[in-house]
Order: sequence, then C-alpha cells, then structure tokens
Amino acid sequence: MSNELIGARVLRKEDNRFITGKGRYTDDINLAGQTYACFVRSPHAHANIKGFHISAAENAPGVVAVLTGLQVLEDGLGGLPCGWMLHSKDGSEMKQPMHPIMAGEKVNYAGEPVAVVIADTYEQAKNAVEQVAVDYEVLQAVVDTSSAAEQADIYPDIPANTCYNWELGDAEATSQGLAEAAHITRIELINNRLIPNAMEPRAAIADYNTGTEELILYTTSQNPHLARLIFTAFVQIAPEHKLRVIAPDVGGGFGSKIFVYSEETTISWASKKIGRPIKWTAERSESFLTDAHGRDHHTMAELALDEEGNFLALNVKTTANMGAYLSTFASAVPTYLYGTLLAGQYRTPSIYVEVDAVFTNTAPVDAYRGAGRPEATYVLERLVEKAASELAIDPAELRRRNFIGKDQFPYQTPVALEYDIGDYEASLDKALEMSDYAGFASRKDASQRAGKLRGIGLSCYIEACGLAPSALAGSLGAGVGLWESGEIRVNPTGSVTVLTGSHSHGQGHETTFAQLVSAKLGIPIDDIDVVHGDTGKMDFGLGTYGSRSLAVGGSALSRAADKVIAKGTKIAAHLLQTDAENIEFDAGEFKVIDSNEGKTIQEIAFAAYVNHDFPIDELEPGLTEKAFYDPVNFTYPAGTHICEVEIDPDTGVTEITKFTAVDDFGTLINPMIVEGQVHGGLVQGIGQALLENCVYDTEGQLVTGSYMDYCMPRADDVPSFDVGMTCTPCTHNPVGAKGCGEAGAIGSPPAVMNAVLNALGQTDMDMPATSEKVWQAIQNAAASN
Amino acid sequence: MELTQRLEIPVSNQVVWDALNDPLILMQCLPGCQRFEATAENCFEMTVQAKVGPVKAVFKGEVMLTEMDPPRAYRISGQGQGGVAGFAKGGAQVSLVPAGTVAQPATLMTYVVIATVGGKLAQVGGRLINGAARKIAKQFFTEFVRIVCKQEAMDVVIETIQGEG
Amino acid sequence: MSETVNLIVNGQDKAVSCSANTTLSQLLREHLMLTGTHVGCDTSQCGACTVHVDGKAVKSCTILAVQVDGSEITTIEGIANQGEQHAMQAAFKECHGLQCGFCTPGMIMASIDLVQSGMDLTEPEIREGLEGNICRCTGYHNIVSAVASAGQKMREA
Repeated sequence: MSNELIGARVLRKEDNRFITGKGRYTDDINLAGQTYACFVRSPHAHANIKGFHISAAENAPGVVAVLTGLQVLEDGLGGLPCGWMLHSKDGSEMKQPMHPIMAGEKVNYAGEPVAVVIADTYEQAKNAVEQVAVDYEVLQAVVDTSSAAEQADIYPDIPANTCYNWELGDAEATSQGLAEAAHITRIELINNRLIPNAMEPRAAIADYNTGTEELILYTTSQNPHLARLIFTAFVQIAPEHKLRVIAPDVGGGFGSKIFVYSEETTISWASKKIGRPIKWTAERSESFLTDAHGRDHHTMAELALDEEGNFLALNVKTTANMGAYLSTFASAVPTYLYGTLLAGQYRTPSIYVEVDAVFTNTAPVDAYRGAGRPEATYVLERLVEKAASELAIDPAELRRRNFIGKDQFPYQTPVALEYDIGDYEASLDKALEMSDYAGFASRKDASQRAGKLRGIGLSCYIEACGLAPSALAGSLGAGVGLWESGEIRVNPTGSVTVLTGSHSHGQGHETTFAQLVSAKLGIPIDDIDVVHGDTGKMDFGLGTYGSRSLAVGGSALSRAADKVIAKGTKIAAHLLQTDAENIEFDAGEFKVIDSNEGKTIQEIAFAAYVNHDFPIDELEPGLTEKAFYDPVNFTYPAGTHICEVEIDPDTGVTEITKFTAVDDFGTLINPMIVEGQVHGGLVQGIGQALLENCVYDTEGQLVTGSYMDYCMPRADDVPSFDVGMTCTPCTHNPVGAKGCGEAGAIGSPPAVMNAVLNALGQTDMDMPATSEKVWQAIQNAAASN
Repeated sequence: MELTQRLEIPVSNQVVWDALNDPLILMQCLPGCQRFEATAENCFEMTVQAKVGPVKAVFKGEVMLTEMDPPRAYRISGQGQGGVAGFAKGGAQVSLVPAGTVAQPATLMTYVVIATVGGKLAQVGGRLINGAARKIAKQFFTEFVRIVCKQEAMDVVIETIQGEG
Repeated sequence: MSETVNLIVNGQDKAVSCSANTTLSQLLREHLMLTGTHVGCDTSQCGACTVHVDGKAVKSCTILAVQVDGSEITTIEGIANQGEQHAMQAAFKECHGLQCGFCTPGMIMASIDLVQSGMDLTEPEIREGLEGNICRCTGYHNIVSAVASAGQKMREA
C-alpha cells in the first residue's frame, strides 16, 4: 500500500450533498400513509402510576391510536437490555432493573415515556397528547450521585441503589506503595454530567408491511445492526430476517446514538399494531430529557510518590451515576473503559481502583465522546498536576520522569491493558515547542502588568480505542464480539462499491474508506462509493463508536482488498496463461513478472463477470470479497495537550489564548479529516471544562433542559487550535491507524482546568469553571489572605 | 424557591383573617384564576391559567388551608397539573399580628412563599420560577389588600425580608 | 383556518395554503419539501433553520409563514447559481467546515449574511457573528476559516 492517497488531504466526497441541502436525514423522509407519534412523558422523577385516562385523546381529531405502558406489559415485550455484564468484587452479577419501552406501573426519571399518541398529522398527535391524563403517586426522588447508596431504594430488589461494586488492580501492593511514599497527593473531583447534544435530534420512522410482514425502521443510529439484534433478540419486535434497519444521514452522535431507546422501539411495535408507517422526531426538549447523558462521577484519588517524584502507587475510588436504568453499554463505561486507563502514560507500578455504580432518578447515563477515558484522564492529569505543584517540580518534567519509555513497549500496565507502541516524549516535546512553553513566564508577566491572570496547563492522555478484541471483550463481559465487517464489490466496469459495518455520522468514512480502497486497489477514488448504515445492504456490522471505524472497519476493508487482489491475481493468471506466482499486483495493474504483459484491475473486473472460459472447478466468476476483522488488541492513541488561559479577575471570565494539541494516532489516511475530529473533540472538552453542566434539582427535575440553560460552546467561546501530530503506527492492524475521534474530548478538560488553576494559584475546583465560579474563587482567596 | 415578605394592612386582624378564608376573595386575588370552588371544609378545587417564561398552561388542582390558628395564622397550599407543561406546587405560610390601635386598626402580615415546578415548566422555565412566583405573590397580596381595604387604586408596599426581592 | 401565503422561494413564485400557526420552517420542509433547512431545537437557539428572508438571515423556526407573506425567501437549495456552488458552499467544502452536515445549511446561510453585512471579518468578528449558530462537530475552527476565505472571494467578485 504505497500510494500518495495515504496521508492526502482529499476533500470529502460526502460534502456536496450536505452543502446543497440534499442530505437525507431521517426526518427528511416521508412515507405514503405516514402517521405521527408524540409521547406522553412523566413530569415526575419518581412516581407510581395509578391510572391512565386516554379516552379523550382516543376520540380527538385524527388520532389513530393511543398506547400506554400498560399495553407494553400486556404484550409481554422484553425490556431494553444492557449489553455488558459486570461483576462486583464479591463475584455477584450486576443488578439490572427492567427497562420497559414505556412505563406502565412506575416511572423512574422525569421525561420517561408512559404513553404514545399516534395521529394522522403531527399537530393532531401533539394536541391529543394534552388530552392524556395520568395519575401519579409521587415518591421521593434519588438524585445525588455520591449519596445515592444511602437513600431509599428505588427498586425493591436492588439494595442501596447499587448496580455493582467493581474493582481492578492490586489493592495490597497499592497500600504498600502508599505506605512507603515520601509524598502523597490527594484529590477529590466531580466529573460533571453532560448532555451530548448531537445537532440532529433523534428520530425514527417505522414502516410495517402487513403483506410481507417486514418492518423497515429508519433511525438515527450509529450502529443499525446492533439495533436490529436488540429488537429481535431482546425486545422481540420482529424476526431478524423481517427487520431492516436503515440509518441514513445521521447528524452527529458522540455516543448518544449508539444506544437503543424507547421511542424507536415503541413506534416499531406500534406500526405493527396499526399497519401504517409512524414517524417520530424528538423536540430538543425531549433530547435533553432522554438522550443518554455522559460522565457524572464523584472520585477520590491519591498518588504516592518517592523523593525524586517517581510515581509509586495510585489509589482511586469512584462513584458513577448510571441514571434510572442501564443503557446499552452503560456498565462498561465507568469500569473497563475507565479503570483500565488509569495508568495513563506512566510507569506507576501499583494501581487499585474501586467503582461503585449507583442508580438515581435521572436519565440513563452511557457512553459520551470518550466514554470512561476522559474521566480517567481527568483524574490522573489533575492529580499529576497537583503533585507537581505540591512538590514544586515543573509539571512537564514530572510527567517526563514517569513516562513509559519508547523502548519499553509492549508495556503491560497494572490495570489489564498491554500498550503496543507509543512515544510519549515525542508528543510532549512537540507540544512544548509548539506552545512556546519556555516563553510562558514572560507572557505571564505581560498579563500581570495588564491586570490579568495567566495560566498554563498540561494533559498527557492515553486512550484505548479500536474496540475491541472480541476474545478480551467477551472475557470482560461484553455481550457481543466487537469485530467489524467490510465488503468490496468491484463492478464489471471497474467501479467499486464498498460496504462497511461502520457508520459515518460526520466522520467522513465515505472519503477515508474510499482513499484506503483506492490506495490498495489503484482504482480512482471517484470510481469508489462507500455504502453504510443499512442492514438490508451490508453484512452484519458493529457500527461506529470508541474511535474504532478506521482501525477496525478500515482493517476489514484492507483485508477484503487483499482478497480482491488475490482473486484478481488468479483471474489474471488465467487470462495471461501463466501461474499466479508469476503475477504481481501494483498500482492497479496485474503484471507478469519480468515481462511487459499485464492487465489492469478494470480489465480483470470485466473479465471476472463476462468471461466464458473460467476453469470453474478452480476459479469462480465475480470480484466481490468480504472480510471480518477482529483486532488482536486495543489501539492506544496518546498525546499531549497544552492550554494557556488568561483570566480577567474583575469578571472571572476565562479566555483560552492558545491551545496546542499534539496527538499520535498512528498512520493517518486523511489528515484534514483527522484534524477536524481533533478540533471538534477539543471544543466538547473545553465545553465540559468551562461551560457545560447538566443539573437536576433535588426533586429530579432537569433544570438545564434547553439551550437557554445548558451552555453549549459557541464560536466566540473558543479559539482556533494548533494541532500537531507524531506517529508511531499501530503494530497489530494492517492500516497502522489508532483512531482519532475522541482524543480531543479526552485530553482537553484537564489541560483547561490545570491552566485555570495555574492562573489562580489554586489546586481545587470542579468543572465547569464558569466565570462565576472563577470569580468566587478569586474572592475567596483574597478574603483568606 | 423560598421568599419571605411582609406588609402592613390598615384594617383589623379579624377583617384580614375573614378575607383570607373567603373563597371569592381568594379567587379574585389569584391571577389567572378561572374557577375556585369549595369541595370540603378548607378544601377547594381551582383552575388557573399561568405563564412561566415561555410555557403557558392551564393548571387544574386543589388548594388546601391547613395549620389553622384563627385569627393569627394558616398555611395555604396548592398543587396543579398543567398537562404537558408539567406541574406546579406552592403555598404560603401566612401569619398576622395586630399592629394598630383601636381607633386605627392595622395588621402586620408576614408570609413565606414556597414554590416548585416539574416537567416542562422546570425544564425550560425553571430559572424563571423565582421571578414568576415573586410576581404572582405580589399580584396576589396587592389585590388582597385592595379588596380588604375596599380601595382599588391603593399603593401597597411589600417589604422583602428573605429571598430575592 | 387555512391561510394562503404568497412567497418567492428560491426565485420561484409559490402560493401555499397552510394553517395560521405554521412556521416558516414547517412551510419549507413540509409543504415545499425543501428539507435542506433543518430544525435543531425548539427555543430558537441553534440556528440550524436559518434562511434568508428578503436577503437577511432569519431563524425560520420562530417566524410564522403568514408573517413573511410577500417576501422573498432563499434557502440552502437556492444559493447555487445555475449549478455552480456559491462561494460559501465551496469554501465550507474546501476548508472542511462541516462534518455531520446537520448545522451546515443554517451555518452557510448565516455566514453569507454575515459577509454581506459588511463587517471586516477578522477572526473575532466572524466568531461573534456566528454565535447564533451551534455546531457540535467541527469545533468552529474550520468554519471560521471557510467564512474568511469565502468572504474574501465574495468581496472580490
């Protein structure tokens, strides 16, 4: 694979439809005879349902059906499952409350659906929803993460509202390390709860055909095959061969569209009942209430160091909020995607982490861009920075002193992972240079003269991506293997249709995958189209999350391309009347070694379909190949982010004056797209650090339920970025790629907070560092001096 | 949200107390009240149209008078369901202290208003609830004073003791 | 309750019969099938629905169709000139100013108005000018580059 396309900034093939308004998102689709669904949602966070009054709504104009949670119970529909089984440290299985698609007897979070109204028009459905009355007996809500275990049980069979008490690492060795330490740095942190806010609200259209008994579901999914599997195997809506799930253009996901939700499941069930298509599109208010939220950890951590500042041991205790139910991958996020990352880039010999996962009367919490890895990085990088401050060691130097050296790979961490490759000093050095770290002191002086506070903060992150080696994931409780499929169809005239189980909802797969296949096969990129997001078209696939698409889905395509070349070689040998060993393939041409004879891949493709004289015992017609790629290890992208801020002490407003991100994503196919992924991730991380916060009041009411109260980063809240790359190619996949989708959101929050605290000369503050909080911190410090 | 306010009304304690127990007066004082009917002793059903921020809804619910200590104090509390808008709960602990003379009677009224909302009201109107509750309380007690004093255009001065005035 | 609204949409005369509470975004998406205009929120905060009403950027989710009776409406589908992309469209592609594409139509329509408003288009001005439009994917970095680049081309043209 030597081609100028690898590493080229190819403009995106998908852009033309998006910039001309010709994208096709779920809500853009309308079917003949379509009805509209609106949901009745609980206004209470925790209540018993005493009765439904639906006859007024049933008789309202245009109403086709009103279905409640009671009918879900009567029909015996299965609950929405969690796909990852965790075990507590005592060996017991995690507790999983039944998650009905609509509640019939009891509601457990504000916004939970209890009934659906289906009508001929959207307005009629919306009007009739107001006619549905539900009697509730309100119960005390459990809201706070850290005290949830001490409050009244939400579920009678789940004591102390606890899902599991999980542990990883060596408790004894860690205690030993702490006992021998010359210095221990301690920190207590809240990782603030976030709402994903993909710009396209979730939507679905379910279309049941009473003649064929087939159900087609258009939905905003990052992994349509997984949705189909859950509908069939767990909820039992329709058999898998009669169910086609299509995720057309999807307007962002960030994790929130991985999961199977109540609404698309309900309308699929309802479409079968009414025999007509049903459309549902979330209002933003519904997205706020019901999209799976992210983060929400309360953590205490301690880092033991010797006299020279070498890390001896790390002890972490975290309480993670699961919300009211376990969402599709919720259990894995604060455990195998969190505890395993606590070694970071460091040689810390002993690590022990305990995680208590608790249920509360809030929306379910699941993977959100980074999923567990931002939480781990945040704990570690805040702790390291605080240690540097306490020991008066330069924070870059303290990190460097503890890095795993580039000659120490493969490196087995004390928390289960084996890193295959990396060069952490290279990223650190490049970031220090790009950020002019050495010149910070003079910039700080200049700010001081202007009456401003300037600070600089680092974060050296690592993530485990390329989810996931199926054997390992399975041994840790994953319900499915996490391989990926890819298929390459070389058409008779030489154009190529690429089918992938990965799903693009902004990542640019239609371009990156086309580049990869073009580079492998020597076929012009304009002749290659990538198809994704339709279970009726491609083989089973696992979808897109955890920065896995190129590393796993791309590797499957790379393997499929190898098979195309192998098959093409046989065809070429037949046509050129030689042995396959005498054929070599290069840049789109099958050549007879040491001769001028050869056939282009286009000629071979044509021959593959139209030839009449294949020796059919040895050679089948056609040039379509597929591969299922199962990675042997995770990939380990890593890098250094450096944030510099200036704070106005009169207002508490933090301005990011410079943000430098240096990342090692292994081999890059399209650096333009990779940088775009970094930019987006950085702003989500900066949003978490400075602006965003999901707040429930003590009754479990979401008070940050619109863009008026949930502060999204806007163009004038953030700077432009300095993005740099280093490269140690992944050692175990054929592309050499590690994944780039989440790094920005993982590395940036601690860098921003470390910079803010550095400017303030303080060591403790929780995100988001709003201007009010920063101003208050300045006032408090002044008052105590 | 919690708000404590105080005002002086130039009529006797008993007159104020009687008015506080008169459903017709209560109905006239409650902004947007369309119905206020007694269902049992000290229990009423009401229908109120209210607006919090961008959410406007008709609330149907109950009002109860409890902790009766005539003519000194009671608690008026209510809750209403606003359909898809959510629900609102609120009330006031009202206490009366004689403040005037026999010739010029007056009553010092102190009340603590508590209000909470749920559902869509909390979601998009939550941060406005303080302002809305304050405004409703002000309208209620201003109208109340004007009715008991039988002066439609009377200036009513309300002093805030605790909470955002 | 049905009203007839007369509009010029992307250069074509349209007479649309709709109810009085139909928003402009609903009229465009549901009556005229111009689904390039997206609705991303219900509080007029995200800007995905931005179109031009008589040449000015307007959030079409918070204006009633009857309010724009007689106006000239331009949507994302109407800014290309005989198949040739508008400079702003081209710049968004050239600078990788979009990812999932959902906010893009509104972002492009707001950006065109921003350039036409005659501001200097320094980076801070572009950022301030776009604060009514939320993008969750790009981090704005490349959008700012795209607007600067298109702005220059639009002024030279």
